[in-house]
Amino acid sequence: MKIKSPKDFWAGLMFVGFGVFFMVVARNYQMGSAVRMGPAYFPTVLGGIMAVLGGIVLFQSLVVKGAPFPKLSFKPIFYISLALILFGYLLKPLGFILALVLMVFVSAFGGHEFKAKEVSILTVVLIIFSVLVFVKGLTLPFPLWPAFLG
Amino acid sequence: MKRLTLLAAAVLYCAFASAQGWPTKPVRLICPYPGGPVDLSSRVVAQKLQEALGQPVVVELRPGAGGVIAAEAVAKAAPDGYTLLMGAIATHAINPSLMPNLPYDAIRDFRHIALVVQVPNVLIVNNDLPARSVAELVALAKSKPGRLDFGSGSTGSTGHLAGELFKQMSGTFMVHIPYRSSAPAVLDLLSGRLHLMFDNLASSLPNIKAGKVRALAVTTRRRTDFLPELPTLDESGLKGFDMTTWWGIMAPAKTPPEVVSRLSAEIQKALDMPDTKERLKAMGSETPAVRTPEAFSAFVESEKALYARLVKVSGAKPD
Amino acid sequence: MDMTLFSNLALGFGVALTPINLMYCLVGVILGTLIGVLPGIGPVATIAMLLPVTFSLSPITALIMLAGIYYGAQYGGSTSAILVNLPGESSSVVTCLDGYQMARQGRAGVALATAAIGSFFAGCVATLIVAMFAPPLAEIALKFGPSEYFSLMVLGLVAAVVLAHGSVIKAVAMVILGLLLGLVGTDVNSGVLRFAFGISELADGIGFVTVAMGLFGTAEIITNLEMKDEREVFTNKVTNMFPTKEDWKRMWKPILRGTFLGSALGILPGGGALLASFGAYTLEKKVSKYGHEFGKGAIEGVAAPEAANNAGAQTSFIPLLTLGIPSNAVMALMIGAMMIQGIAPGPQVMTEKPQLFWGMIASMWVGNLMLVILNLPMIGMWIKLLTVPYRILFPSILVFMAIGVYSLSNNPFDVLLMMLFGLLGYIFVKLECEPAPLLLGFILGPLMEENLRRAMLLSRGDPIVFFTKPISAGFLIASILLLVILLLPNIRKKREEAFVEE
Repeated sequence: MKIKSPKDFWAGLMFVGFGVFFMVVARNYQMGSAVRMGPAYFPTVLGGIMAVLGGIVLFQSLVVKGAPFPKLSFKPIFYISLALILFGYLLKPLGFILALVLMVFVSAFGGHEFKAKEVSILTVVLIIFSVLVFVKGLTLPFPLWPAFLG
Repeated sequence: MKRLTLLAAAVLYCAFASAQGWPTKPVRLICPYPGGPVDLSSRVVAQKLQEALGQPVVVELRPGAGGVIAAEAVAKAAPDGYTLLMGAIATHAINPSLMPNLPYDAIRDFRHIALVVQVPNVLIVNNDLPARSVAELVALAKSKPGRLDFGSGSTGSTGHLAGELFKQMSGTFMVHIPYRSSAPAVLDLLSGRLHLMFDNLASSLPNIKAGKVRALAVTTRRRTDFLPELPTLDESGLKGFDMTTWWGIMAPAKTPPEVVSRLSAEIQKALDMPDTKERLKAMGSETPAVRTPEAFSAFVESEKALYARLVKVSGAKPD
Repeated sequence: MDMTLFSNLALGFGVALTPINLMYCLVGVILGTLIGVLPGIGPVATIAMLLPVTFSLSPITALIMLAGIYYGAQYGGSTSAILVNLPGESSSVVTCLDGYQMARQGRAGVALATAAIGSFFAGCVATLIVAMFAPPLAEIALKFGPSEYFSLMVLGLVAAVVLAHGSVIKAVAMVILGLLLGLVGTDVNSGVLRFAFGISELADGIGFVTVAMGLFGTAEIITNLEMKDEREVFTNKVTNMFPTKEDWKRMWKPILRGTFLGSALGILPGGGALLASFGAYTLEKKVSKYGHEFGKGAIEGVAAPEAANNAGAQTSFIPLLTLGIPSNAVMALMIGAMMIQGIAPGPQVMTEKPQLFWGMIASMWVGNLMLVILNLPMIGMWIKLLTVPYRILFPSILVFMAIGVYSLSNNPFDVLLMMLFGLLGYIFVKLECEPAPLLLGFILGPLMEENLRRAMLLSRGDPIVFFTKPISAGFLIASILLLVILLLPNIRKKREEAFVEE
């Protein structure tokens, strides 16, 4: 059984996976009846439909020729994700300014070229703009400096 | 040696100063319900406190999980007087009975500082419903058990629980229809899809005055100044019925007593100012009778007990 | 022409055109535009923050400013949608589809101009509609109950499939995935917490902004970074800023259709305005002779939804001003603002405080005018922004998105979610699954289920009620028809394909 369309194969698999996932988790809740639906009814039905559709896509991928498996590049994924996590979780402890510095630098690593001087200037500009607009202007309650500096 | 003493002195001074000179940096007032009357009154109080304390008092919105996220955050915050909560009936009286694994204790994890707003709910019915008084409503409900629908802003809300208490005390059976918030429920009430609901006074007042819905009674023991002709449920045969929606300022349990008393004093002063009164009145609130932290604590405890009973009776459980 | 209408409008303009009201209107729309452009930060948070400022203003001035922020944000949201494929509001998602494509073809200026013009026209017409038909329209809003909303949403869902330009099956699956994701959180009808796995932040569901930022914004950045050469910078290809004659010819009918559809849907408090832009796009795609270009930069795909969402934004004031019922979170805030000012919002506002009512309506028009005057010249500035090298642009976009999402509830969890949706969005792009249908399903899912179950509760379990109520039946029949229209060409094509293969 040759996979004629890897792209669609994985897409179908993904849908089947999601569908089954929702159906399985929904078993923790009450189904109720069609007339008096419980919390599990809608998700189960929907999950079922999605799994079926995923199955169709899967089947088609074995039969109809389609696009090959797409290439994934992990560098941008890694750096952007890291940048976001760092910002989110370090904003309170390290303060807004340091968190921004981290985010800009780490995300810049994910790009094609990393010119330290350029990134530094960008960071400063972004910090000034953000502090003015978000913290002073919109009075968002972000601590500017690290917690231990009081 | 001299340097060491200087350093020690500096450290001691800082510690001393921060306790004495509170507040020396901005204070955060965490609000669990953005955009509604709780948010608005938080900002009113924050503005007054800022003027009184000389430091910025910033309202920080922390929505989610019916207020649990905000309450938990403050329960676990440093008790240094820089983090406050606008705690509400939902977070401190209802949730403890409604939600099984609450990550905070409504009584022990908080210092209850000042009750800010207390609004009654009002029983409103659709104009076409053949009931002009509570007595007629009860009779109607008894003649048609399970045929009347009452709406509420969400399962476990005061609107819902007021309805359940009503059912229990009057011995009637009505069907509860929950909504995502009270606005769509009011809409359905206006058009007759719902027969009655217990809505908070401020939001239903305009419709009552315009004659679009009929008000039968208030849920508090005392009549409200906004609608003095409206009887209370207590007067109408449901003896002892007394429910309000409320919220007030709280802080983490171990907050220093000087901070608590300073806050309490300033807030009570603010509540007595005419412009604050005006603004809070717009939400249907009259200055609460509870004016000290101790009284507030006692109030929270009694509310918690009341709702423990009610939630059980109503069978409302997010399970 | 109705004389009382005329005199009312005159009264209104008299109020709206005072220097102080003009100034605050300007402040409001500028602020609104800024917030609309910045992803994540929305009118709700801003209005809440500015409420104390309004205490010192007169009621009408305060409301004018707040209203300006609201519809200003609609204008701003389209800007970021077109320029960087980032929808700031739910209503801007659809604008991303063709607007961004137009930007990639060097026609960002045209897209922005179209959005501004369409929005202005729609704003004017919708304001007139509010002025003339507010009370009767409010009556119509009252006729919509759970059954009607459910059927309307079924129609919306079927229309969602039209949004996609790829595989229909995958589009349907994406819609369903969106529906399921929308169900995460507390179930209104039973109070049960679903699919939250003990995470309290999920108790209210996944936020729309978080999903949109992740699926569109973050995924876009990752995808762009992956390209071997720096992504084709639009610099060299920026053509004229203004729409050509051909463009004008193509845009006027979509704007008209969008305006009326948007005005109609905006009146419905139960989520009608959200459907406005999606509905307009779908309608246009099926009706226009350039339907095949949709998704690749068709100007109609920007004109119609932009007109629709602005019209919807204006008419969503109707339930507020006539019934005192908020259509969305912003309106709820307006109610709060009014109450604090001592005005009880409700049916009597029109009669007891005519300056307020008509003043607001007049200032809506003024605000729209200001917005169009502000936005058109700024197009040049925005285009310059696009010429910035991507390696500088993308960290900036990321910063604004992260700040915006974080500020929603001051919780790092939201940023984490955005990142996860970014990864998911990236996978979707790789697997050729379109995110727009998912987003529509996401919005509609919980509403659909809620209304379905509520309708069943009210009818005590009788499903026939969906067909016995005329409005509801109408929508359901329309959905079935639309479904048939959608599937017919597919079936025919499949038969042809089968034929050929044989």
